Amino acid sequence: MTDLRAESPAVDRVDAAAHRVAEVAGEVFASLRGVRAATATAVASVRRSGRAPVAADLAPLRPLLWSRLDPGRLGALIAGIGFIAAPGLLADAAWYLEWWQENPPGRPVQLLRDLDPASSAFYDYTHWDWYTGPLAGAEHTICGPYVDYLCTDEYSLTLSVPVTVAGAFVGVAAADVFVRRFEAAVDPALREIPAPALLTNAEGRVVASNTARWIAGSAYRGAPGFTAHPIGDLPFALVAADVLSGER
Amino acid sequence: MESARLAVFAPVDSTARVEAVVRRLTDAISLGLLADGEQLPSEAELAARLGVSTVTLREALMALRQQGMVETRRGRGGGSFVRLPSGLDPGALLRGYAAEELRDLGDHYAAIAGAAARLAAQRALPSDLAPLLRSMNEMNELAGTTGTTGAEQDGRLRRLEGRFHVEIAAASQSARLTQEEIRLQADIGGLLWLSRDEHHEMAKRHLLDQHRAIVEAILAGAGDQARELAERHVLDAVDHLIELRLRLQEE
Repeated sequence: MTDLRAESPAVDRVDAAAHRVAEVAGEVFASLRGVRAATATAVASVRRSGRAPVAADLAPLRPLLWSRLDPGRLGALIAGIGFIAAPGLLADAAWYLEWWQENPPGRPVQLLRDLDPASSAFYDYTHWDWYTGPLAGAEHTICGPYVDYLCTDEYSLTLSVPVTVAGAFVGVAAADVFVRRFEAAVDPALREIPAPALLTNAEGRVVASNTARWIAGSAYRGAPGFTAHPIGDLPFALVAADVLSGER
Repeated sequence: MESARLAVFAPVDSTARVEAVVRRLTDAISLGLLADGEQLPSEAELAARLGVSTVTLREALMALRQQGMVETRRGRGGGSFVRLPSGLDPGALLRGYAAEELRDLGDHYAAIAGAAARLAAQRALPSDLAPLLRSMNEMNELAGTTGTTGAEQDGRLRRLEGRFHVEIAAASQSARLTQEEIRLQADIGGLLWLSRDEHHEMAKRHLLDQHRAIVEAILAGAGDQARELAERHVLDAVDHLIELRLRLQEE
């Protein structure tokens, strides 16, 4: 942020907005670390008993997953959460999602999908970024914004982390967050910035903004007078106009 | 009065729930999310997974049976099985539509497909285009593998075709257009596929050429051209379908 004048209060506000984005994403990633730990424990304990895990061995995760969809707390952000097994992990299901979605005002529902590539075009999930990112070792993957026609049917972000047992990749813990909810969570901080500012993913897809010039879902392809500021190790950037002195 | 009041306070969404389940399963079957011949989970399990009562589920299954999308067999090895509409007699399916209805469905679908393609051309980034290119290549490979057209190959092509168009809609970044694309495929996708079945080899090549042209326009960021090509893609098939329907009438 060397190109910004240190004395400008706007610089602090850009920092504060970046901090808010990291905080909101961090909440979701904290939940995912919980799912990861529980999944790894379940898989490891089944293996210690001398057999390969089956889909039913993942059922004990459900109370934890449901608690993350409780509308009272983080459920306000997370619309779906679960564990996606690496193909071949489970002895009785080559492809499997232990995936639950909110269903207000009722109890969460499990996602029903035919995921066998032999019978369905939708589909070999190992192609999706939320799978390939953690598989390649990324600790924090954020896929989207994209129209998630596989799970939510909504404009969504999917956040994911790798799950490993004894150093070997066994699948992915992931959560879906509607873009509109993420936007609502970071918008107040963006609006504090007294200049056009937008949050984008690594490719330039806009997640949220304080300007109608770029709205969520549009593409930011660079613009003169704008600088992209990284947000920790997240695949996001906070893009703000360089002139932050007050006039919009 | 009392019974009228009871009706007022009856659960609002019981019919809506049946329709929602029918639509969810119809969409899934038409798009190949649920494959032809696949056995559905037991009624109790399916109801639990969809979060509806077994009564609601049974009503939905009955509607699906009437549409020919689900077949229920009794006894040992029985249960409910998915049936792809393309397995039905084309004539019988087509007779269910007046030419005017086909025209109207086509108008609606062309509007959605065209708008989605235009927005995709304006908004798509590389990660949106990768799935499109993969589906197109898979279709080309599949169509090129053999001169014969087995039912299995046909089914796979049909599923890839559906996936390709959903991916274009998703590239528009509009959830509503994508949902509408999925719904319209459920309504008319099977019929359009029928129209392409006739003169199979030629129709298939034409289909793949049209796909390539749409993808090239999207890659080039040419919104108006992408819209026109996507509309033509739908309307060509609908025109052919209407001709088939009119011919049925003369017989």
